Amino acid sequence: MTFFQDPEFGDRIITLMAALVLVLQIAAVGQRWLASSIRIFAVQSFLLAAIAGVIAYFNHASHIYVVAFLTLLLKAVLLPWLLEGLVERIGIRREIEPLINAPLSILIAGCLTLVGYVVAESFYHPEEASVRAALGHNTLAVAIALFLIGFFTMLNRRKALSQVLGLLSLENGLFLAAISLTYGMPLIVELGIFFDVLVAVMVLGILVFRIREAFDSMDVSKLRKLRE
Amino acid sequence: MILLWLLIVPLAASPLAFFLRRRPVMEVVNLAAFAILLCLAATLGFQVLRSGPVSLWDGFFYADDLSALVVLLTSFVALVCSIYAVGYFRQDERNGIFREKQELPTTLAIPKLREYYSLTPLFVFSMVLVALANNLGILWVAIEGTTLASVFLVIFYGRETSLEAAWKYAIIGAVGLSMALFGTILTYYSAHGALGTETLAGLNWSVLVGNAAQFDKPTMRLAFILILLGYGTKAGIAPMHTWKPDAYSEAPIPAAAMLAAGVLNCALYGLVRFYILTSKCLGPQFASHLLILFGLLSMGVAVPFILVQKNFRRMLAYSSIDHAGIMVLALGFGGPLGVLGMLLHMTFHSITKPLLFFCAGNVQQQLKTDLFREAKGGLIHSMPLSGAALLLATLAVTGAPPFSLFLSEFTILRAGFGGGYLVLPILFITFLVAIFSGFLIHFANLVLGPDPGLPPAETCRWKKSSVVGLALVVIVMGFWIPAPLFRLIQGAADIVVNRR
Repeated sequence: MTFFQDPEFGDRIITLMAALVLVLQIAAVGQRWLASSIRIFAVQSFLLAAIAGVIAYFNHASHIYVVAFLTLLLKAVLLPWLLEGLVERIGIRREIEPLINAPLSILIAGCLTLVGYVVAESFYHPEEASVRAALGHNTLAVAIALFLIGFFTMLNRRKALSQVLGLLSLENGLFLAAISLTYGMPLIVELGIFFDVLVAVMVLGILVFRIREAFDSMDVSKLRKLRE
Repeated sequence: MILLWLLIVPLAASPLAFFLRRRPVMEVVNLAAFAILLCLAATLGFQVLRSGPVSLWDGFFYADDLSALVVLLTSFVALVCSIYAVGYFRQDERNGIFREKQELPTTLAIPKLREYYSLTPLFVFSMVLVALANNLGILWVAIEGTTLASVFLVIFYGRETSLEAAWKYAIIGAVGLSMALFGTILTYYSAHGALGTETLAGLNWSVLVGNAAQFDKPTMRLAFILILLGYGTKAGIAPMHTWKPDAYSEAPIPAAAMLAAGVLNCALYGLVRFYILTSKCLGPQFASHLLILFGLLSMGVAVPFILVQKNFRRMLAYSSIDHAGIMVLALGFGGPLGVLGMLLHMTFHSITKPLLFFCAGNVQQQLKTDLFREAKGGLIHSMPLSGAALLLATLAVTGAPPFSLFLSEFTILRAGFGGGYLVLPILFITFLVAIFSGFLIHFANLVLGPDPGLPPAETCRWKKSSVVGLALVVIVMGFWIPAPLFRLIQGAADIVVNRR
């Protein structure tokens, strides 16, 4: 069982999981059912928690275990559960149509991934290529790609709830960047961020619910009374 | 210890208001909390002036001149807004805003007021936390907190348009702040090599600022761009300003004034903290160019919208975009003079802007519209006090002499010419003049002119006293700045240009 101690092995596992996270993100771009999007988000968050766990194990950094556990609890269980409850209550199950159709969206997501790799390249200093730097390199590219694709999803979707999901996947990208670049921010900062994300989703959820009641739809493109 | 009290007072006032049942008690609790807060903030200011930065819990909370200034301004704005709010909501109730249906006598006033009086202390708490947090991560958490606490103030009236405004505000704010978070993470990463620390102190501004010269430069460059976009969204600089007119015109007046004069300062405060790190790491040039670009863009974007504006509440928002642009531009001009101009502008703007909001609120409540077209003009005949104050505030906000904003804008202009720029300060003057004329034409038409024969307005004591009191402060500040306040501003400017 020596490979459990081998940092090389840990690095490969992390890269593999980061790649899976990216694949899920691209799959979410083409997804039209809200329930499936929420499940994709849950699995993605689960993988992120696992990445955090592996990083904590190989670097003997106990505070990252807390972060991993919280991610699992909040993002992989609690938030999907809340969001699914919201979908049940407002009774809208699928995105009518995104602004850009699915194949083209997936193509754009692919291009954004490339952009992520190009940006991440500028952070890579081969002269200090310890395991740390190498680890940061690949996952950082994935993190930037997640961020950009999340951004794109928010622009592309018209349903209020889909925009919230886009925002959450964008935050997942940030989480991956934080964990892979610096092994997480200090614990209290991470706790603050978790708290904020949770409250933000609840606030947005209440807004979604109220928009649904007032407009009988949660199509954001109907919100266009306030104009110059 | 004083830092802790500054946070505890608003935090305690929030749940207290939530459990109260009678309106006068809620009002008293709110007023008392903010009055105490202002006293504490003034004490903090004196303490910082006398004995340098104050810190608590190993530097978890930290207050230097810059933080003390922002705390002082925030608590001042909170107090005047809460005085005005008492009269404002009483008038709302008389106008029947809180009635569930027009015919029914049942009123929702108490639950609505409870919502307002328990959310505003939370809102103020997050703003104070922004200024007192030393840790850049906590700073981010607090700025996000201001958004979350104020979303429900934007949907206070529960109209369809308020929902739209709140949705825009929340979503644009969240996306912007996620960029700021990315910027914060990258700053931490670029400092990682220099500090080699994974403890909490690794994100403390007071620690980072000492080592900023050794940060990883390409990373810091990207970090500053993200921070500028992120906190710039919160400050409402163009092109991320689109939430502002909606949110400002839908929120109740006191809350909108707090957004315009409080949150703006907090967002710029966050930006300034990162500006200091960036200019230490990369030299002032890099940040300056970006700041000047965004500052002028915001001023330029505001001009056409102010000139053709139909709605006076939205006009105030464009004025706020313009002022955010001026402050960012001043920071971009840099140097001791530019930074001093920015901080003076921040101070004077926070004092003047609420007055403009209050007068606009009085007009809106009297005429029950916020469109210039439906107000027939000649307001000075039916509401002499608010009309006169509105004209005064218009002149003060657009930077006409002798009011204090003229002084700060002139300082910024001198910084611009002194910094070797020629075209940019001329553009700055052009935009200022255009905005001045736009404002003056619209508001002079609203206030002056023949008597349309409206019955004279009854303005209650609370509204009167807040408008008159604030107008007096604005006039006095045009001629005399209290010496300790000026020393605080000067001290804050020294921190930014790194002379300490």
